[in-house]
Amino acid sequence: MKKHLLAASLVLTSFSSFGAGYQLNLQGLRQLAMGGAGTAMPWDASTIFYNPAGLSRIKSIQAYVSVLGVMPATAYGNFEGSARSVKQTFTPFNIYVGGPVKEGGRLALGLGIYTPFGTGIKWDDNWTGKFLVQSIELKSVFVQPTISYRLSETWSFGAGFIYAAGTFDLRQALPVQNMLGEDASAHLHGSGNGVGFNLGVHMKASERLQLGLTYRSQVNMDVDGGSANFNVPVSVKNIFPNTTFSSRLPLPQVLSLGIAVKPLNNEKLTLALDFNYTGWNSYDSLRINFDTHTEMLKDMHAPRKYRNTFTTRLGANYKIGKVVSVMGGAAYDPTPVTNNFVSPELPDADRVIVTCGAAIKPIKRFTILASCEFLTSLKRKSNYAYGNFSGTYWTQAITPGVGVYYNF
Amino acid sequence: MKKIYILGAFACLFAACKPSVNITVPSTAGDAVFTNYLAIGNSLTAGYADGSLYVTGQLNSYPQRLFEQFSMIKDRGARGPFYQPLLNGDMGFGPGSTGTGNNRPRKVIGYTFNCLGDTSIGPVDLPYYSADADDAKAYTSPNRQVNNIGVPGIRVSDYLVSFYASLNPYAGRFYYSASETPLDELLFRVNNLHPTFFTMWLGSNDVLGYALAGGQGDGSGNAGPGAFGLYNSADITPTSVFKMNYDTAVAVASSVGAKGALINIPDITSIPFFTTIPSNGLYIPRQSLADSLTQFYRSLNYVFSLGYNQFIIRDNVGALRQSVPGELILITTPHDSLTCAGWGSFKAIPEQYVITTDELQNIRNATTRYNEIIRSAAERNLLAYVDMFSYMSTLQSGIVYHGVNYNASFISGGAFSLDAVHLTPRGYAIVANKIISTINEKYHSTVTPVDVNKFHGVLFP
Repeated sequence: MKKHLLAASLVLTSFSSFGAGYQLNLQGLRQLAMGGAGTAMPWDASTIFYNPAGLSRIKSIQAYVSVLGVMPATAYGNFEGSARSVKQTFTPFNIYVGGPVKEGGRLALGLGIYTPFGTGIKWDDNWTGKFLVQSIELKSVFVQPTISYRLSETWSFGAGFIYAAGTFDLRQALPVQNMLGEDASAHLHGSGNGVGFNLGVHMKASERLQLGLTYRSQVNMDVDGGSANFNVPVSVKNIFPNTTFSSRLPLPQVLSLGIAVKPLNNEKLTLALDFNYTGWNSYDSLRINFDTHTEMLKDMHAPRKYRNTFTTRLGANYKIGKVVSVMGGAAYDPTPVTNNFVSPELPDADRVIVTCGAAIKPIKRFTILASCEFLTSLKRKSNYAYGNFSGTYWTQAITPGVGVYYNF
Repeated sequence: MKKIYILGAFACLFAACKPSVNITVPSTAGDAVFTNYLAIGNSLTAGYADGSLYVTGQLNSYPQRLFEQFSMIKDRGARGPFYQPLLNGDMGFGPGSTGTGNNRPRKVIGYTFNCLGDTSIGPVDLPYYSADADDAKAYTSPNRQVNNIGVPGIRVSDYLVSFYASLNPYAGRFYYSASETPLDELLFRVNNLHPTFFTMWLGSNDVLGYALAGGQGDGSGNAGPGAFGLYNSADITPTSVFKMNYDTAVAVASSVGAKGALINIPDITSIPFFTTIPSNGLYIPRQSLADSLTQFYRSLNYVFSLGYNQFIIRDNVGALRQSVPGELILITTPHDSLTCAGWGSFKAIPEQYVITTDELQNIRNATTRYNEIIRSAAERNLLAYVDMFSYMSTLQSGIVYHGVNYNASFISGGAFSLDAVHLTPRGYAIVANKIISTINEKYHSTVTPVDVNKFHGVLFP
């Protein structure tokens, strides 16, 4: 005889997030304001992220701090109605310290602490996709000690070791209700870490033409001992026990090529063009392995099948005078998420990005940066086959940022 | 095109980023007119759930869901109020298990203790049940309007039975007159309401009664009527009677020009009432037990082995045999008898708890015949034909809706209520969506589907 007639189907379809949109390109404010193009031109110590080879091109040791406010908003609609994500502000930050060991020397050392990946979305607790996701948040911080060597006036090289640490948090409703008709819920929270590296080559072909090539490796974030808590009716607590889980999230490898030119004779204008090739196809599926299993609580294996993407970034920097520079740029960032896999934790779509910014140098050695990015996705009608959830999504985000750096 | 998005991005600066997505599929009536909606049917239409009829179940009936969606249409949409013969409360109303009085508690999930002393949870009668005196009173509404005339238990074969209200307490609560037939009642409602649209989901009970009784009736579909023109409730209605009554009911329902949808009979053999206990549910944990059973049934030459074995059954003439794969064991088979009294092993399960493969074939044949009658009635009268038989068969493998996997498993499946026959509010909402999509196809309308997850499934303590 079947002893347990009951239990409700736990469909942890969710927890898919950490998708494409989880790459943040907010590591240096001047580069950000130039559409995110920064591989070819070592403007400041943030080149530790954009191209480690550029660090040996900086004149002296520099300390760089910036903070941003990411304010995304996503709308969803289908035949039955529409929904909008709850307003949130995320504040990624960047710290870079580094430069030539000796002033004018060939060897440079540095340390970067930055946030290359992160995402989050929060829907109303009772929205129609509540059994897929109510809220999700991924944060990561990379710590990158970096060495750079200038071989000649033309060539320089750089390498960084990456230690990555991150957290994520997921809440979703479960289709089990108590006597009042309230849904049960699951809350998964975990932290993980991983290692990788960042390599770069920089070529200063002439005063007016520079090129950069970088490769940042994949970082596998290994999560162990994350907590999985289930708020369920007492009578089914034994089949939804609180437990721990492990998982692995790939933060993908990125190959970037950049060109920067100064087309005007007075060299006041710099144009930069970057291409990023991101290896999202390593994100083939998401596995959540619970440390306790019951007839209802089983390991989850959700297909993701991301595809690699090719991003184009274009920006300009114009030096108005000795004190003020202004920047502008744009980027087109296609989504790695294919049509049958667009889920409401990461309703990703091709993105169009427009940026602007300014740099002010009020006193010697000290620079203040300000930038703003506007992002809009193309409206996307898509389906999440795994959870049979379809609809149209549209995301916009505004990201202002401020920063300062000081040359020692 | 891209320019628009870039402009949108800048606009975002001033509007503080408020993207919005309005999928502008306005609700429209198409070729149909939903102004006055009449629902005709049996317990599934009445909102019967958890083994009884109670007001929360009625308020979650699929006609209620359809009315709500029809009323979202501006031009030719449904105009309320939508009167269902609501009960007073949530105790449960209907003929009791003893056969006397209307004291039928609804079922809830509760803790049960079996003969071994094991605690588990499962359906139990509402513990604090006491029959609500107000439930037994006649239903009254302004102008005697009733939009949902679903009557639990009613069969197509009952449609010409006089004094039906005195035979069925659910009908007794709201039928216009005590002496009339269900067909008279339908005619009265049609003339009273002037429906512009109707749904009819009849016929399940014409075969379900036979199945619920373990196939103890004749099963051929040829048995004649008994007293008062009533057919044996544990048997299959003759096809000719079904056809005459059904066609007449459709003619009456559409007599004032109403459009509508005819819903066919689901595959009742796939509901959890018949699928929860597998025919090979005899679990043998020790080899010694298997050996002694083999010894016990040596005259039949059965060999029992460790693990799951086919149950032993005693047929109507007293002969013992092992069940065969494909036979169905009713969920009403006493659990304690299976667990502790040796039912199915040393003691055989009585045949009244078993649907044999022949009986299964009788059920399937009857369902096919009835559904053909329903389909041709829809075709002749230019009505929508909702193939619920096929749709509910897909429930077997599971229907994923907005991240929830609904299937036909008992309790865990989310679609069937605690009586293993009728549906939960979510199950009725899923059914409503199937009806809506068929209506939309037939009448070129765009009735908005129901957000299924807004309603509740099985509730756990």
